[in-house]
Amino acid sequence: MKPLAEQDHYEVLDVPRDASPEDIERAYRVAQATYADDSLALYSVFDGDDAEALRQRVETAYSVLSSREGRRAYDAWLGGDTVPAAAFAPIAPDAPAPAFERVIAAAEEPPRAEAPPPEPRRLPPLEAFPRSPLEGVDEDEASPEYDGTRLRRTRLRRGIELEQIAAITKINPTYLRFLEEERFDDLPAAVYVRGFVVAYLRCVGIDPAKGAASYMARFEAGRAARKKGRSPATG
Amino acid sequence: MPVTESLRLPAPRPRPTLIVAGGGKGGVGKTFFVANVATCLARAGHSVIAVDADLEGANLHTCLGVASPRVSLADFVAHREEDLEKLVLETPIRGLRLVAGTQANLGAAQPSHFRRERLIHAVARLPADFVFVDLGAGMHPSLIDYFLAGDEGVVVMSPEPTSVENAYGFLRAAFYRRMRSALRGPEVRRLVAAAMDQRNERGIRTPLDLLREVEALSPEEGVRFVEAIRSFHPRFVVNGVRSAEDVKLGFAVRSVCKKYFGIDADYLGYVNHDDGVRRSIVARRPLVESQPDCDAAIYLARIARKLDAARRPAHAAGPPRPRA
Repeated sequence: MKPLAEQDHYEVLDVPRDASPEDIERAYRVAQATYADDSLALYSVFDGDDAEALRQRVETAYSVLSSREGRRAYDAWLGGDTVPAAAFAPIAPDAPAPAFERVIAAAEEPPRAEAPPPEPRRLPPLEAFPRSPLEGVDEDEASPEYDGTRLRRTRLRRGIELEQIAAITKINPTYLRFLEEERFDDLPAAVYVRGFVVAYLRCVGIDPAKGAASYMARFEAGRAARKKGRSPATG
Repeated sequence: MPVTESLRLPAPRPRPTLIVAGGGKGGVGKTFFVANVATCLARAGHSVIAVDADLEGANLHTCLGVASPRVSLADFVAHREEDLEKLVLETPIRGLRLVAGTQANLGAAQPSHFRRERLIHAVARLPADFVFVDLGAGMHPSLIDYFLAGDEGVVVMSPEPTSVENAYGFLRAAFYRRMRSALRGPEVRRLVAAAMDQRNERGIRTPLDLLREVEALSPEEGVRFVEAIRSFHPRFVVNGVRSAEDVKLGFAVRSVCKKYFGIDADYLGYVNHDDGVRRSIVARRPLVESQPDCDAAIYLARIARKLDAARRPAHAAGPPRPRA
């Protein structure tokens, strides 16, 4: 548990030192949403100034870690190499460097340029905390079955609204909803539905090669069942 | 039977996994969560006992379809029954039993400190694989004690400012109480007690301020403090989710817990808003029983599987046999 001013960029974004660029991207999105001005998650815990300081640290951390050169230089500095301070200064031209300096100054630390790497602390770093084996909410990865519920769950997990998919794919959002609700009879001909499914899967990050055939099999079976006079199979 | 076998002492009964659900605000779905997740685990072949510790507003029995319980936790609180096991009732759900919490005597609803200790002790020794405790609303120290006594403490919240505020309040209370019990010296313990008051004179605003003060008083106590933070893993559930934005709230709360308290809270999952929920409550049957295919039931089942998987390394010998 370190004060914000002592946390390194990885700790600010809450990612391990060996995080992939995707991990950093994802962590940044979460942090951005978490510390946004109107974020519900801050309510009654962080007030405006704290949240502002956090936002600035998050932006700086991301601007350094998302650039390959910036991250390499920063890692070298963390590792104790003597690298000129300029090498790990925020890379993005419009990065809020002065604000960052202010946060550091507020913590009564020497200016960045002469700052030695933080002293090793006798308290364990946050990364050493045991991680929950239940990290993430994904548990369907292994299953080859794709039904409407799974599409919907994947979409919600990725934080995507139906309207966003509609805007990208130009598919009527009502049809997208029917896909999730498996209202097969309300959907158009199979050839169109396949196109919808492929576009939907791409948007939510599922490989269409994996998911489309499985969903379409459900679709065909559901329609066939109704033709025989039974209600569509629901699972 | 060989002699050696007959002489062997009976194996001590394995302790159940104790899952306690709280969360400060009323009406966010604690009872709903307990009724349904307990049902899921019972359906998966575990023996489960749900305890309604919400003595001032008990209705877990109603959610489980037990109309008017003949005995309840109130009998234990009022010293009418010393053996908690005798208060365990059957429910219509196979594998799931109940210690109801009807309000027998409103005046004497809250047990004394010693009674609470005995209750915690007795609950953690009920004969089952899982014991759930439904705490009810509020953040009275007695509720916090039950919460901290659990193997798993689950905070239930809904995506609304009122609920988020109370959930943090509950976590804050649990955090400070846990810290206080981890520390030894009377001086540092007084410090923690002072810090619980958000407007304390020493200007301790955050857990981090408190850690600084504790370290200043005694470095060894500071190490204990950090240890207590590291081993504190509350879980939380966001109930009544209506949009992707609401789902993200859980990740944001987890992030805030880390930044503010320094704790690794686990986002156990979310349950979406579903009209079926109301129908299930009216029908007095858990949603996962009456409408197992609806979205909310699927999310609840997922949460149950996670709790089941989290338990396995420490306890069980093998996967339970699913009920046919």
